Amino acid sequence: MNPQGTQTITFDDKIVRYFLLAMIFWAAAALSAGLLAALQLAYWPLNMNLEWITFGRLRPLHTNAAIFAFAGNAIFAGIYHSSQRLLKARMFNDILSKLHFWGWQAIILAAAITLPLGYSQAKEYAELEWPLDIAITVVWVIFAVNFFGTIARRRERHLYVALWFYIATIVTVAVLHIVNSIEIPVSLTQSYPVWVGIQDALIQWWYGHNAVAFFLTTPFLGLMYYYVPKAANRPVYSYRLSIIHFWALVFIYIWAGPHHLLYTSMPDWAQTVGMVFSIMLWAPSWGGMINGLLTLRGAWHLLRTEPVIKFFVAAITFYGMATFEGPLLSIKSVSALGHYTDWIVGHVHGGALGWNGMLSFGMAYFLVPQLWKTDRLSKKWMEWHFWLALLGVILYYVSMVSAGITQGLMWQALNPEGKLVYPDFVETVMRIVPLYWVRAFAGLLYLSGFVLMVVNIVRAIRHQPVQDGTIQVAATVSRSPNEDAGHRRLEGLATIFTVLTLIAVAVASMISIFPILNLKQYVSYEKTVEPWSPLELAGRDIYVKEGCYVCHSQQIRQLPFDVLRFGAASTIEESMWDRPFQWGSKRTGPDLARVGKKYPHLWHYRHMIDPRAVTEKSIMPAYPWLVAKDTDFIGLRKKLSVLKSLGTPYPDDTVANADIVAQKEAAVIARELEAQGAPQGLEKKEIVALIAYLQALGQKATPNAGERP
Amino acid sequence: MSSQDNDQLTDHEYDGIREYDNPLPNWWLMTFFGTVIFAFIYWLHYEVGGGPSLKAELNQAMLALQAHKQQAVVKELSEADLETMLKDPQMAAAGALAFTGKCAACHGPELQGGIGPNLTDAFWLHGKGTREDIMHTIQKGVPDKGMPPWESMLSQNEILSLTALIVSKQDTNPAGAKPPQGEKVR
Ligand code: HEC
Ligand code: HEC
Repeated sequence: MNPQGTQTITFDDKIVRYFLLAMIFWAAAALSAGLLAALQLAYWPLNMNLEWITFGRLRPLHTNAAIFAFAGNAIFAGIYHSSQRLLKARMFNDILSKLHFWGWQAIILAAAITLPLGYSQAKEYAELEWPLDIAITVVWVIFAVNFFGTIARRRERHLYVALWFYIATIVTVAVLHIVNSIEIPVSLTQSYPVWVGIQDALIQWWYGHNAVAFFLTTPFLGLMYYYVPKAANRPVYSYRLSIIHFWALVFIYIWAGPHHLLYTSMPDWAQTVGMVFSIMLWAPSWGGMINGLLTLRGAWHLLRTEPVIKFFVAAITFYGMATFEGPLLSIKSVSALGHYTDWIVGHVHGGALGWNGMLSFGMAYFLVPQLWKTDRLSKKWMEWHFWLALLGVILYYVSMVSAGITQGLMWQALNPEGKLVYPDFVETVMRIVPLYWVRAFAGLLYLSGFVLMVVNIVRAIRHQPVQDGTIQVAATVSRSPNEDAGHRRLEGLATIFTVLTLIAVAVASMISIFPILNLKQYVSYEKTVEPWSPLELAGRDIYVKEGCYVCHSQQIRQLPFDVLRFGAASTIEESMWDRPFQWGSKRTGPDLARVGKKYPHLWHYRHMIDPRAVTEKSIMPAYPWLVAKDTDFIGLRKKLSVLKSLGTPYPDDTVANADIVAQKEAAVIARELEAQGAPQGLEKKEIVALIAYLQALGQKATPNAGERP
Repeated sequence: MSSQDNDQLTDHEYDGIREYDNPLPNWWLMTFFGTVIFAFIYWLHYEVGGGPSLKAELNQAMLALQAHKQQAVVKELSEADLETMLKDPQMAAAGALAFTGKCAACHGPELQGGIGPNLTDAFWLHGKGTREDIMHTIQKGVPDKGMPPWESMLSQNEILSLTALIVSKQDTNPAGAKPPQGEKVR
């Protein structure tokens, strides 16, 4: 049937349909969780006194759903669809595709169950506990084998630029995930990272920043390079620019993580490296924007008639904004104002809702009529979706940047006497609560637009037959690279291309992380700090479980107004036993690094049960269940022994009797609480362990402790 | 449709996608080189050339603040001024406002005590309930016992107004008063 010497290939588009529908399903979850979280900050009663959905547990659920479920499935849909066409080959193995799909959904489902239950490592975007970390690794490897297997079977000599970005994504995410997740299990649901203190901070933000780079940027650039020229039917603006900005991104991105840690106790050199590499990222990022937007030259009229193009143009524009703002925020003096505030929240949502969201929606509208035999997508509804989404992002961004700058300025303000103008932290919170309402409304707009998309797509594909793409290819294709030179030759050598990418990423990672692996170089043992006592450790694990780090930092920066407000700047030694580190990235509430002994036990007791009982205007959730739940004393033996094996100097008998030691500590605090007027019999309760931890914060440094351990 | 018609297409074609062979925009290249040069100089300055460390910058800023504070003219109030101000009902009223926001969580809205001691009775933990004693406790706090120091947060005047309030509330016997703590002084 085929003409002489050709064969017909049918693409596996079923898996693309699966990923696309999964993307829509999880986007609904991610956006709804985000809206609820936004409302909780505007109106605290919406925490509903339900531990599973208090803000501290809901925010990780929202971020993980947005990144790994929504964006993740969007990436997979686009990669499976475009790669088959760019490589002129069906996916390597249908079973691997299915394993990838169902494995990934199972992980998301498990995340949706475990995060509300409080099984969390309290490291941003890496909260999932160790069994899920392993599962992610396995599924990622399946994906990689499937992808590279397809490349190996390609009937196209060269790899198109979109595929370069996919390769960088797959390789780098694997490295990031594995290194950041090296941890020792304590139980099925808990683990401690091997990294400690500043190591953990550096590696976490190397991971966190590059999760944005290689999960939310490079794969989406790949999608852009396929879908924008396809939808506009225009050639890509500049092949040379593709080459330069691809390699520049791969080389430079990896170094920039410490810009999340400016002015902290992270050694200065790391901060300088983070800042200068962030600044150098500006042009390479804009290379992608230029190539995206200028591809549309000569097709601008489509902007009026084609909603898909509208989505793409908006997405690329938001990408340009976010990648200009990122370097800006990495400048130390700008970070001094913006860090810990809602400005950063505005920044990431410009990226997530604007760039990732809009591109995914545009792609979905582009794909539906190809994957199903349908012409029933309503353009009018798409238009409405577009304008609601655009208005939503803009309103979100403007409200949060205003909130961030307002609060940042209030934190800095000093009167002529050199005192803080707003010493009361809640006062600076109350000022921005109206903007929290605006933000929630913006989220509602964005979500409404999304609902229109769901209805539109469901109506378009219901009862419609599916269709799988096919293509005719020559039975044999020459893939000899010998006729090419320079980069063009490299584009034919997939393995070498991949290895070079890996080297670029790995070398940069090694250089920027390696020095910190030897902590002795940075910790001054004269100022060494005692490890957490068994009860304090139990309290710390409650702090981790409840996700207090999403609202509280534990890192007083080397900035005068931070020092005036919270006390002496945090030191490296003070987090030298911290697994995980809990420096946080957002101050919705005050810094807690030195909150120990600031208040009596009873204050904390009342505050945790109902923050409004002591701070009338507080927006912090209430934690009444801490008074009802018992502390897990027995588990402490295992916890201490794991930490000891990692290097925390606990004496052997403390490890062996951890539960008894902790119970004694608890009895003392419970008695003090009772003397101050709290009810009797609290010694077994979680609240006592948490109070022990809070009262120890900033109290552990023993100056001149002498001997190196 | 003029400019791009002159552009050279490469001979690449992938699933119908073509690529132009346009050069890198100059302004883009300049931006890139500019940031690289800036990065290099910045790094040289701070990491090689002995630019100030963050710690040194912080110390500098704190010293500057200190010097600034000493310059700020704080009007020395005479003993007599202080005494009249203490009796001024407007002072006590201002104090009541500050007390609700900052102290009531621990000392109760009527000063009857709660987490902290009753401030209306004749029993005092620190000093004898004189103006100086009260002002001193408010300024320095009792950090180990959970009474925060307020001198960095409140102005001299505010602390005086709070003192005026406390003095004015002596022996008011509010409902639900906390049992006495400390020494009886009256
Ligand atoms: C929604 C954000 C949010 C979460 C989650 C949150 N807090 Fe808070 N927290 C606040 C705000 C706002 C304040 C300031 C007002 C107040 O005193 O309640 C605060 C204040 C505090 C204070 C008093 C600090 C001071 O110096 O006055 C402590 C202690 C505290 N929180 C502990 C916790 C603990 C422990 C958790 C987790 C179990 C937690 N918070 C979770 C927002 C939050
Ligand atoms: C976090 C709770 C807390 C807050 C807020 C607080 N106090 Fe106190 N205060 C205490 C405690 C506890 C003591 C008792 C200290 C002790 O046991 O030595 C105390 C003691 C005092 C005393 C000394 C009482 C005595 O018997 O000697 C005075 C005066 C006082 N507070 C005034 C204030 C004022 C004025 C404010 C507001 C600016 C304030 N406090 C805010 C907890 C607090």
